[in-house]
Amino acid sequence: MRVGNLTRTAVMMGMLGAVLMTSGCSWFRRGGKTVDSTGDDMLQPGPLPEDSSVIAGREAGTGTRITDDPAAKIENVLFDYDSYQIRPGEMPKIERAAAFLKGNAGVTLVAEGNCDERGSNEYNMSLGEHRADAVRAALVGMGIDGGRITTKSFGEEKPADPGHGEAAWRVNRRVEFGFYR
Amino acid sequence: MARVWGLIAAAGLMAATRTTAQVEIVKPGTERTSLSLTEFTAAGGNSAQVFRRTLEEDLKRSGCFSLVAGPASLMIQGRCGDAGGTVTADCRVQNRAQGKEVFRKSYRGEAAGARRLAHTAADDIVLALTGQRGIAGTRIAMVGLRGGRKDLYVCDADGGNLTQISRDGAPCLSPAWSRDAQALYYMSMHRGFPDVYRVDLGSHRRNPIATYPGLNMSPAVSPDGRRLALVLSKDGNPDLYVMDLGTRQLTRVTRSRQAAEASPSWSPDGSQIVYVSDRAGSPHLYVVAASGGTERRLTVRGRQNVGPEWGANGLIVYSSLRDQCYQICVADAGGEKDQLTKDYADHEDPSWAPDGRHIVYARSAGHRSGLYVIDSEDRSEVGLPLTEGSWYSPAWSPR
Repeated sequence: MRVGNLTRTAVMMGMLGAVLMTSGCSWFRRGGKTVDSTGDDMLQPGPLPEDSSVIAGREAGTGTRITDDPAAKIENVLFDYDSYQIRPGEMPKIERAAAFLKGNAGVTLVAEGNCDERGSNEYNMSLGEHRADAVRAALVGMGIDGGRITTKSFGEEKPADPGHGEAAWRVNRRVEFGFYR
Repeated sequence: MARVWGLIAAAGLMAATRTTAQVEIVKPGTERTSLSLTEFTAAGGNSAQVFRRTLEEDLKRSGCFSLVAGPASLMIQGRCGDAGGTVTADCRVQNRAQGKEVFRKSYRGEAAGARRLAHTAADDIVLALTGQRGIAGTRIAMVGLRGGRKDLYVCDADGGNLTQISRDGAPCLSPAWSRDAQALYYMSMHRGFPDVYRVDLGSHRRNPIATYPGLNMSPAVSPDGRRLALVLSKDGNPDLYVMDLGTRQLTRVTRSRQAAEASPSWSPDGSQIVYVSDRAGSPHLYVVAASGGTERRLTVRGRQNVGPEWGANGLIVYSSLRDQCYQICVADAGGEKDQLTKDYADHEDPSWAPDGRHIVYARSAGHRSGLYVIDSEDRSEVGLPLTEGSWYSPAWSPR
């Protein structure tokens, strides 16, 4: 799989190189498949070359996500519109997550914050992070080592329900528990 | 002619809108100099036609002229042609009122680059006639959603030359141009977490810029090009930071324990930053010194105010939730001045063109989003002719 990808990348980079050498002009004029109404070409460069670097501080969530343990299946914590406040009725879910972490010493948690589709994507990324952080803070308040929990926002990018009404929005304003071992 | 063009754009908008669009076509009292291309001919093949058509569209889109078919105050004269894979053009401008030639320049380039060559000619002509260079040669970066995959794209100011930059199919957001327009900073989740990267548009190399635990997003390059404002949550909830791009050292600008921050943008002199914070319950705009300090709330109208961009003209353009829709508004340092859009659709993520006059934004209705350009002077709007897909987070390049 990996070798296949590398081979394909190498072939595409080679093709790109050939196009570059023949055209000799700036990047936005390189050849490719026509996709727009003006008749111009779209670059098909393949995966971007990238500097490899280790992301430090994200040890939590680097193992395998636990999907086979019923105790790890905890309902999503739901939120009000434009709010990161944990409603009292949602606290039992967080308590169950705390109990699971206490009973499984090697397990780490990624608290995944999400928003409904309304509003600014950027603000929703921030709001989703704030929701995840609120859940993390609640867990730390229950005696869980904060080093076992990392937060991750998807903003409005990963709805649980792809619909567009209040019913979908209600379940999309959430924090999901992702346990890793 | 400009009026007709505006009406066509308005008709297109109304067709795409559920209720009648209220679009002002031309601000009363606005008088544009008439300009004609009837004495500028295209001979030869397709590239010459592309050159002439692009030049005409660019001059129209500049907003500086009223294009007419017959005699006009300003006559574009000359010819363009193509042969052997090369396009050539001789462009002259005759000012009939003054009875003299005010511009003359020849152009030559590869036939495949006819559109870019025409953009250059249009910007030269606008400079000669107005004293300020045009924006036809600038570009727009954006996020595209095509076939369920989100990636980074770039197109010309008129929507042509659409080019896919990334091929990750992962959530990405808010591209920001480097000052030399050779690189983009943006947030991408292609490695699982929301991180900030820099993409060099020449080499296509991508470098991680901010990969701290939690959220890394909303990069904004300072006017001097040396600093990057961004939002990080590494020290708790999301806050505003400034990174020195030389040393990668961070300075924390806001310390809000109970609020989420987003979308920073620099003042023209680099001393202040406008950004979004929900410290008052809903997201609104605040201004803070780039070195930190006490923030000041900028907007009070609207249930929400998001996505600000501080233009070189000193004006902040942003998106304000009015009734049920996000509308494009403009503020100065004292607060809101004007609401530019009014039709029943969401208008988000506005970005100034370097002429300080045109604004590109994402307009969504019926869960599809396209990019539109509005002339802040006469309020005419025109959609960018992008391919099938939804388009978000536009950022207009510097010159």
